[in-house]
Amino acid sequence: MTDHVTADAGSFRDPANRVYDVKKHNDESGRRILRGMDKESLDNFQRLSEQDFYRRFEKNGQAVKTDILPSSDSDAIVVLKDGWSGVLEHTTIPFVSYPYEWTFSMLKDAALLQLNILEQSLENGWTLKDATSYNIQFEGSRPVFIDIPSFEPWVKGEPWVGYRQFCTMFLIPLMLKSHLGIDQLPILRSYIDGIPPTEATKYFTGFDRFKKGVMSHIVFPAKVENTISARERDDAPARKRIGREQSPAMVIGLVQSLSRLVISLKSDLKHSDWSQYDKTHSYEGADFSAKKAFVEKHASQAMRDQIWDIGCNTGTFSKICSPYCNSVISIDGDPDAVEQLYLEEREIKGSNTLPLVMNLSNISPGQGWAGNERKAFDKRKNPDLVLCLALIHHIRLSANIPNVFFLKWLRSLNSEVILEFVNREDEMVIKLLTNKAQQYNDYTLDQFIDEAKRFFTIEDRKPLKGGKRELFFLSPS
Amino acid sequence: MVHLGKISIVLYLLSASAAHAYVDPGSGSVIVTTVLGLLAAVSYTFRKYFYKLKGFIFRDKSDTETENSN
Repeated sequence: MTDHVTADAGSFRDPANRVYDVKKHNDESGRRILRGMDKESLDNFQRLSEQDFYRRFEKNGQAVKTDILPSSDSDAIVVLKDGWSGVLEHTTIPFVSYPYEWTFSMLKDAALLQLNILEQSLENGWTLKDATSYNIQFEGSRPVFIDIPSFEPWVKGEPWVGYRQFCTMFLIPLMLKSHLGIDQLPILRSYIDGIPPTEATKYFTGFDRFKKGVMSHIVFPAKVENTISARERDDAPARKRIGREQSPAMVIGLVQSLSRLVISLKSDLKHSDWSQYDKTHSYEGADFSAKKAFVEKHASQAMRDQIWDIGCNTGTFSKICSPYCNSVISIDGDPDAVEQLYLEEREIKGSNTLPLVMNLSNISPGQGWAGNERKAFDKRKNPDLVLCLALIHHIRLSANIPNVFFLKWLRSLNSEVILEFVNREDEMVIKLLTNKAQQYNDYTLDQFIDEAKRFFTIEDRKPLKGGKRELFFLSPS
Repeated sequence: MVHLGKISIVLYLLSASAAHAYVDPGSGSVIVTTVLGLLAAVSYTFRKYFYKLKGFIFRDKSDTETENSN
């Protein structure tokens, strides 16, 4: 294998195919996503690509655009050396994200896309062989189905084999949030194969068990699984449970009933400090305009590939950057602020903004098999510009992370940075320090500048709010 | 929709609990999808014929209206 074509560390669960990344340069040019296919999968895809229903998925942007590569293609030749029968090429996705970084509505929209694709496939004699939420990615704020080899002909009488996986990876997290108000993200981050019904059932006690869908899709499956485990424990032989035929009405009916259930699940936005940021930020009009102008001045210097807005709140500055890059990744730890941004962005046709929920003092780690199956947030792709506006005081004073640690991490992204330093005299810092015994005497503008110069060149700076805050444009040194 | 939950309550009362090591946790899916699928099929069939009937009635109506307007 040549060094520019590498097998994706997270693509191995389906032995019938594997994803390969092609990178020829340090930037995005020449980047390709290929997939080695075994003979059966390749034959399936050739038949699938002739189906009108599948072509509609591609045309509507519901499924990632995919073509068969000629075996003479120089990168396909490399992939074929691994013994595959053929190679597909998929359109690239700007940034890979995971369900434990999605808001409630993002997971819900992804679930409805999965069900919609499955239902239309079943009606045309095809099915999906699994139902993992990792088969969905977001292109901007639009969910896209990416696991094309999941499609296979529907054998008469075959049940919906992905039902349990759909429940563990989509339905149960949605029900935890909608019915009980439990934040599903930390749980999903731990259970990367989804939350099993036997665990989920413990959250639903008393009358909560009678909330919509709980008895059917959590309590009952949990009891069945526990009963089977009890009967077949130790040296008791496993009983074969394959081969019971199910009619199309049973399978399609179940998919439709789940669609209705998912549509009915709601999670109201709550007032949080950040979801109201546009109304409650501590700026006067002129200073806020100056801040916007500074960001736009440096964001518009060049057409960049990707800009990250870390600590984005409801995305005011992501929106300023959006016209000047191919994609914006907007990250905040407040699920309600990010949800609000997603709900706005999904209404914008062709939105290039991907909102994600993440606590920046505890970013998504590398996990799964060998710690590589799901990539750490900062190991997926480097941005070309990072905004971190009014974030550093939270990193230092709330999360207790020294400024130098944060600056070193920012430098590791090898990107330009627009950073807003919030000085000790600022009312928001005073508020953070009011009830703290530790007063963080190292947290000063002068010390910050000294530390920043160890990693970056200060290209531009602008004081705001009479010196209580200061904006910096930094380039990696 | 036929309430899958009502039948599930009955089935829920018939079972016990334990831990697993060698048992595939998904091996119960066949039982679960069979039970839930049977109930869903009733709803699916009912809806299918209901919408057909509705379509038939309203198409007749709109046909009549079109003819009248012509």
